[in-house]
Amino acid sequence: MYGDAIMVCARISHWPGLCLLFVAGALAASAQQPLSFSDKLYPALQKAGCRMCHNPEGVASPTRLRFPEEGASTERVEAFGKSLAELVNRQNPDDSILLKKPTNRIKHSGGERIRKGGADEALLKEWIGYLATLSGPELEQALQYKQREAAGSGDAPQVVLRRLTHQQYNNTVRNLLGEPTDPANQFPPEDYVNGFKNQYQSQSLSPIQAEAYSLAAERVAANAFRRGDSRHLIPCAFGGASDAACRLKFIETFGRRAFRRPLEPGEVARYDALLKAEDDFLKGAQTVIEAILQSPSFLFWMEQTPNPKWKPYAAASRLAYFLWDTMPDEPLLDAASRGELNTPEDIERVARRMLDDPRAKQGLDDFVSQWLRFDRALTAARDHRFFPLFNHDVAAAMTEEARHFIGDLVWNDRSFMGAFTANYGFVNSNLAALYKVPTPAHEYDRVDFPAEQERSGLLGQALFLTLTSKLEDTAPTSRGLFVREQFLCQHVPPPPPGVDTNLPVLDQARPMTNRERLAVHTTDKTCAGCHHLIDPIGFGLEKFDAIGMYREKQKLLFYPEYHGAGAEKVKPKEILLEMDTTGQVAGIADSQFTNARQLGQLLARTPQCQECIVKQVFRYMTGRQDARADVPVIRRALEDFRASGFHYKELVVSLVKQWESKPAERSVNVAANHPSP
Amino acid sequence: MSQLITRRPRLSRRFFLKGLTLAQAPVIVGLPPLVSMFNSTGTAYAAEVNPAKKAVPFERRFVLWFNGNGIPERYWIPDQTGPDYDTTACLTPLARLRDQVHVLSGLDNSAVGNSAGDGHSTSMSALMTCTHYTGRSPGGPSVDQIVARKLAAETRFRSLQIGVSQESFGSAIHKNMSWAGPDRPLPPEEIPHRLFDRLFGAKDQGWVNRKRSILDAVYQDANLLRKGLPQEDAQRLDEHLSSIRDLERAITSLPPEYREVAKPDEDFDMKDWPRIAKIQSDLLAYALATRQTRVASYMLTKCQGLARFPWLGHDEARHHDYTHADGKAPGEDGPVGQRIMRDICRWHVEEFAYLVAKLKSIPEGDGTLLDHTCLVFVHEHAEANVHKNSGVIALVAGSKDRLAHGRHTRMMGTIGDLYRTLADGALDAGLGSEAFPTSSRRLTELLI
Repeated sequence: MYGDAIMVCARISHWPGLCLLFVAGALAASAQQPLSFSDKLYPALQKAGCRMCHNPEGVASPTRLRFPEEGASTERVEAFGKSLAELVNRQNPDDSILLKKPTNRIKHSGGERIRKGGADEALLKEWIGYLATLSGPELEQALQYKQREAAGSGDAPQVVLRRLTHQQYNNTVRNLLGEPTDPANQFPPEDYVNGFKNQYQSQSLSPIQAEAYSLAAERVAANAFRRGDSRHLIPCAFGGASDAACRLKFIETFGRRAFRRPLEPGEVARYDALLKAEDDFLKGAQTVIEAILQSPSFLFWMEQTPNPKWKPYAAASRLAYFLWDTMPDEPLLDAASRGELNTPEDIERVARRMLDDPRAKQGLDDFVSQWLRFDRALTAARDHRFFPLFNHDVAAAMTEEARHFIGDLVWNDRSFMGAFTANYGFVNSNLAALYKVPTPAHEYDRVDFPAEQERSGLLGQALFLTLTSKLEDTAPTSRGLFVREQFLCQHVPPPPPGVDTNLPVLDQARPMTNRERLAVHTTDKTCAGCHHLIDPIGFGLEKFDAIGMYREKQKLLFYPEYHGAGAEKVKPKEILLEMDTTGQVAGIADSQFTNARQLGQLLARTPQCQECIVKQVFRYMTGRQDARADVPVIRRALEDFRASGFHYKELVVSLVKQWESKPAERSVNVAANHPSP
Repeated sequence: MSQLITRRPRLSRRFFLKGLTLAQAPVIVGLPPLVSMFNSTGTAYAAEVNPAKKAVPFERRFVLWFNGNGIPERYWIPDQTGPDYDTTACLTPLARLRDQVHVLSGLDNSAVGNSAGDGHSTSMSALMTCTHYTGRSPGGPSVDQIVARKLAAETRFRSLQIGVSQESFGSAIHKNMSWAGPDRPLPPEEIPHRLFDRLFGAKDQGWVNRKRSILDAVYQDANLLRKGLPQEDAQRLDEHLSSIRDLERAITSLPPEYREVAKPDEDFDMKDWPRIAKIQSDLLAYALATRQTRVASYMLTKCQGLARFPWLGHDEARHHDYTHADGKAPGEDGPVGQRIMRDICRWHVEEFAYLVAKLKSIPEGDGTLLDHTCLVFVHEHAEANVHKNSGVIALVAGSKDRLAHGRHTRMMGTIGDLYRTLADGALDAGLGSEAFPTSSRRLTELLI
């Protein structure tokens, strides 16, 4: 039997994990496994919703229990089931944490997920009983599951084509053609997926988008030669369209820049035919540009390519669109053609040079604007009766501050974790009024925050505090969620459908702080499991109101009666309430805090937060969610990031080096060479 | 109308039948039908203009209309069922069209299930597609696309997506109601003059020829690039190719001349939603009348939308804020948010009524365009502030030879049942229950 297992191992040697499973499976059969974990208990645990929190991205990810992702193979599920032996008390199975937590016999953040005395508990008990009887070697094997998981395995989704984002389109036509009009601003707006606008899953091409590309191409091409060849796009002295030498030179030069690689002979011929169909050279050139701007070779940049000849050019595109958010320039394409982008050392050298280029600011800004969801601040609404200081310009200033702030950390080589701890901001007169600091000599100069406000990096800056608030007041839940999702990369499940998410109505007779109103979240069992993880983070930030102004007390305004449009003239009754700003980040040890400064320090030193920065940059860079196969890349980048004292540029260099050097030989499912009907 | 057409000498419907795409697929774009094209009773096209020499009935058309954020039930759902229901506050704009509309309540948006998203995304996914939300998108195509695949093979546009308010939280599920499939949203055209250009922008033959040769080159480029791509990328490129084909088809089938349609201004307040809604409805009606498409979706406000309503006197907050305006300033008859929601939902109905009336005003054969169009109006939730998914409402209008109108019915059935009943009962799409995962029966109460 053991021999059989080894034979299987040899055949599937590219995945040693599987080999162990076969062995374990064989032995387990002899120890008489009482029930099939994957058929019986696992579905029950799924139904109980354990994975909502206990997954690699979940709020319970720091605990010892992490479910495999949905759709995991039966082998992995079985191995996971055995690995639960770690949570079993072999001497006294009924005292196992694996039983006591989900039944809430000991305090479980997720509440009672499995009913005491129910059928599911019986299944669980049966399984625990079995796990308690595993022999020494069996146990050892079962526990290896975790190491295998941590090593990462499987294939990362392989993305070859990345569509230009709207911002990249604008930047590219500006650099390619000197087109200043930002034509992509007229396209159907992009959607946020996985927290970013550049994720490949959101880059499907609807007919209306194809039309928008077509229309933009027509306009941009018409602009190109409006005043003759004033933008110097034709690299030779041209006469009529019959000038074959100049035609080819133009097509090859322009085409190489537009497609970010040399053109194939067939492509040159195709565009040449378009050009010479016109009598006038520039008219023909205009048609060529219009066609090229609609070609998928322009609209999609290559992250990878099945064509070996194009590999160095794919490297150039990767670097340029990640680091600069625009097309590779001439020197970069030249470097590709000279074979200077082939090794990780090459990439590192070029990437460092590119990070010193002013265009790198454009690249960083694009990442920051999405990671910190500038759009949510820019579309925020506030009740003017409560927040007369707030308007769109102020919201725009908040985003500008974040841009300056992160830019200062990155380009002046400060620790990026200062994003959570810095006691200064970058303000204009609007923000100076909001923070109650003197207006600096120049717009967006650095100013120190008043010490007593305990502002701390992004957590104390108006952008985050505003985009997570509501019309009339702060939303501690929203702030907690943003910290979990953007800064800790932990996904919190949304409320189940049909739940009344309204809070108790406020009235003058019974005024309540936000904390008191949100208490329903923790008294109601359905809500408590998740809100316990979210709300307390926001409670600790309650000293900042819904536009980020400092407050000692929570102010409630009661208008005597609703008066429709003229309501602002009515004088409200004002009630001031003391606030308890004790907060906590459940799941992180010793995480009690009472102000933004303490939370900032906590996040900055928390490994999940440091790793989350790496993951966010990774997701933005690759245009996709990180997968299990990416674990080693992320771990390595985190080590480099940490070793550098959290210098963002070092993180970026580490990631691009690994991005470039990952084995391209991975088997891909190659599509047939003909288009579908 | 016949006068209008006689200004186009020698251009017959057959002329448009001859418009061919590069792929050699015939394209039909209609003129407003000539009286002479109809048979003697005006109920169908006459045999002589039909290639098969057989009288065919008018095309049946479908409009799916969506409104975001849900309703205040107390101001919307009539207390009585049957023909003698009392018009509620939200339904007042339909008073003059009462016998053209069937008011439905009690539908179950049953595909919400335990899917991975908040109340709004899961509800939207279920409402449009009868599938679970995947965390990024619905799990399948939306009902308008399911119907379009059956009905619209030969029209200039397979389907149209039209929108009005653009304000939302920004996720794909918020912004789009039409989906070609998972991760494939079909964004609505929200800018009136752009919609006009798509539908009625006249171009000369030189322009068309030039575009064709350009698209031909683009098409060949795509084929080159496709070689050796992994499956997922190849699929995305195929979408690109099919979008190019759609574009080619739209370009090479010349837009019909339809002089009643004036190009909308480009320089008015682009957040004047009531005005934009009416222009979009006009353009949609003309697009249907000229047979440019048979299927359309109309997104008045977004899922969990954030529109503002200054013309209703409610401009302090945004649409979604009002659904959870939990009574900080109690009014006389219930929370203020509820009354504001009443006004907003009444406006939703008002714009829907405008489109219904518009379709009714366009003669077609011996009836009107409304008679040959099936419209369904759905809302993201039942009671808005609790994200309620059971007991949702709908309005059904048009297709008067098939559908019963002039009453309020409390349905025992699902959203899937509703779509299936309309698709097969009013549109003859022949889809059956497989197309609608949550359907178990036909809602015979809807049919005559």
